Amino acid sequence: MLIKSQGERKYKGFLLEKNVQQFFAGRLWKREMAPFPPWKVNLYIRKGWLQVRGAIEEGPRCSRCHHTKHFIVFDCNKCQAKCVYCRHCINMGRMSQCTELLTWCGPLVRPLRNHILDWQSQFTPLQARASQELAESMRLKRQHLLHACCGAGKTEILFTAIYAALKRGERVCVATPRTDVVLELAPRFQQVFPQTTIHALYGGADVPHSYAPLIVTTTHQLYRFEDAFDVMIVDEADAFPYTFDEALQKAVQKAKRVEAPIAFVTATPSGQLLQMKKAAGSSYIPKRYHDRPLPVPRFESLWRYDKQLLKNKIPKKLETWLKSCIADNQPFLIFFPTIELMTHAIPLFQVVDEKIEAVYAEDTERKEKVLQLRNGQLKGLLTTTILERGITIKGVQVAVVGAESAIFTAAALIQISGRVGRHIHFAEGDVVFFHHGITTEMDAAREEIMKLNKEGFPYGTGSI
Amino acid sequence: MEQEVYDCLLCGTTLHCQISWSMLIEKFPPVICEKCEGKFEHSIRAEKGHTSLFQYNEAMKDFLHRYKFMQDVVLAKVFRMHIHQLLKNQRGIIVPIPMHPDKRIARTFAQVDELLKEAHIPFIHLLEKNTPDSQSKKNRAERISVAPLFSVKGTVEKKSYILFDDIYTTGTTIQHATNALLEAGAASVTASTLIRG
Ligand SMILES: [Zn+2]
Ligand SMILES: [Zn+2]
Repeated sequence: MLIKSQGERKYKGFLLEKNVQQFFAGRLWKREMAPFPPWKVNLYIRKGWLQVRGAIEEGPRCSRCHHTKHFIVFDCNKCQAKCVYCRHCINMGRMSQCTELLTWCGPLVRPLRNHILDWQSQFTPLQARASQELAESMRLKRQHLLHACCGAGKTEILFTAIYAALKRGERVCVATPRTDVVLELAPRFQQVFPQTTIHALYGGADVPHSYAPLIVTTTHQLYRFEDAFDVMIVDEADAFPYTFDEALQKAVQKAKRVEAPIAFVTATPSGQLLQMKKAAGSSYIPKRYHDRPLPVPRFESLWRYDKQLLKNKIPKKLETWLKSCIADNQPFLIFFPTIELMTHAIPLFQVVDEKIEAVYAEDTERKEKVLQLRNGQLKGLLTTTILERGITIKGVQVAVVGAESAIFTAAALIQISGRVGRHIHFAEGDVVFFHHGITTEMDAAREEIMKLNKEGFPYGTGSI
Repeated sequence: MEQEVYDCLLCGTTLHCQISWSMLIEKFPPVICEKCEGKFEHSIRAEKGHTSLFQYNEAMKDFLHRYKFMQDVVLAKVFRMHIHQLLKNQRGIIVPIPMHPDKRIARTFAQVDELLKEAHIPFIHLLEKNTPDSQSKKNRAERISVAPLFSVKGTVEKKSYILFDDIYTTGTTIQHATNALLEAGAASVTASTLIRG
């Protein structure tokens, strides 16, 4: 019970406030940024329910991102001494030796178990099996690799496992490298779990103060959690920056409880992930949910496309392709290897049709532009690899310009091809790789897609 | 633990460092790539008694955000060579515009001092900020009518002084600092800033 006495607050007994507990549970939070007044935070520290620690541990190691390089030493006016900060995660607010972090070590949140799964399964036999296998692995606290081709309906496959975990009173995290994917997944989950508090976390999102048993987050925001999750699902497990960033893998490890299993979900598993298969559960779905084969990319030479574009000319073949999409009223995506080439090219495309826009990672209007393409306000988008995965546009046609560029790895090209034909009524479509020379990555992508089709349709696809 | 920089401090790309003789002499190897460097606009104007190195533009806005707001102290290195070139041969004692102590502690570093330190330019503090209020939050009338922003600490001699600040916007800050030094007996006061707002 709290008793006010002339501005000073003293306490007799101690009443645990749900909102404080629920906010801090599982979080690693900067003291200055706590959404509660300092006197209240102090109270919980004295009680021993909030623990304070410096953001840079011995080593040094950053408490938030667990990175051990990229430290900067400086003369700190706050500590009046040499201080160190982590440059690796500075975009999320600087962590220095004198930054204080709070973690919850009071009573555990008692989870609600009144979850509802409001969804009618229309699984194909392959989906149904994968869904059971995944749920089983999560129950046994065993790692799992869900290898599902683009358009296999992997979000739906997660429902059973998530639902079972929630019913056990567990806290579940679905982490993905891209904000776009968080924005697509979160409403979908909220729809099927109408009773469940779900938080969608990404850079710039408001942080709700309630407790969510299901969190959909970018891998970056995982830095703000510690020992929090009983089930960790890493979607697009191979996507940039996850494969590239060791520290993000550490963040996954740090955010989950030690014994919590990780499920890796991907259409293009890396060799490392495939290795893991032997020691853990795995499911494989080579076929799309609508039972139609994956569109196989075709190769078209486009010699010196960059020189032509820089001379303000759209190469002939590309222009023909573009015009036929417009004539047939088909939305299209054209992937570019660099922002520079794309920004140079966009005015040329807008001469052909003004309802064409370009998007890239830092584009603040990216969400709107994708939405406009989806609802027909735009005819097409030029894009960097930022749209290679996660997005679904009914009836879309896809071209890659400069498919030989190093940025277009086999995995990227498979994902890009996977944008086409996802809708049951638009199961076909054109994927064309315009190139200045065929690379092994291009070949590997095409072969992998044909292999998936062969495995998905051992008796032939009937349409090729 | 502290290492010399290998990647561009602004965009992270690997620096293909072409060592030139001048760089060896100046001891300032580049810390940002040519592409990032090219985004900054050099200042063309040098008004009476005031010189600045760069124009305020999008790239500079981003730089200031990362340096001051995100507190990425290491970015003080980015313009070290330019600042060094500007100030090394100037005759006069360099006096940085100070921050109010409360603000300096909150930010954990004095951004103007750090710029000079990285540029190997010696300086002394002769001024003290009177209030923690920021100039930018006031309107024009308030800025002009305001009580003196600085008081003098230490001894001002009958010599030339050069004020140094990160950004020159309305000139109020420089004006107040100039007046304070002149009243305390300075022979002349000029000003240099990194940015012309
Ligand atoms: Zn860090
Ligand atoms: Zn410090």
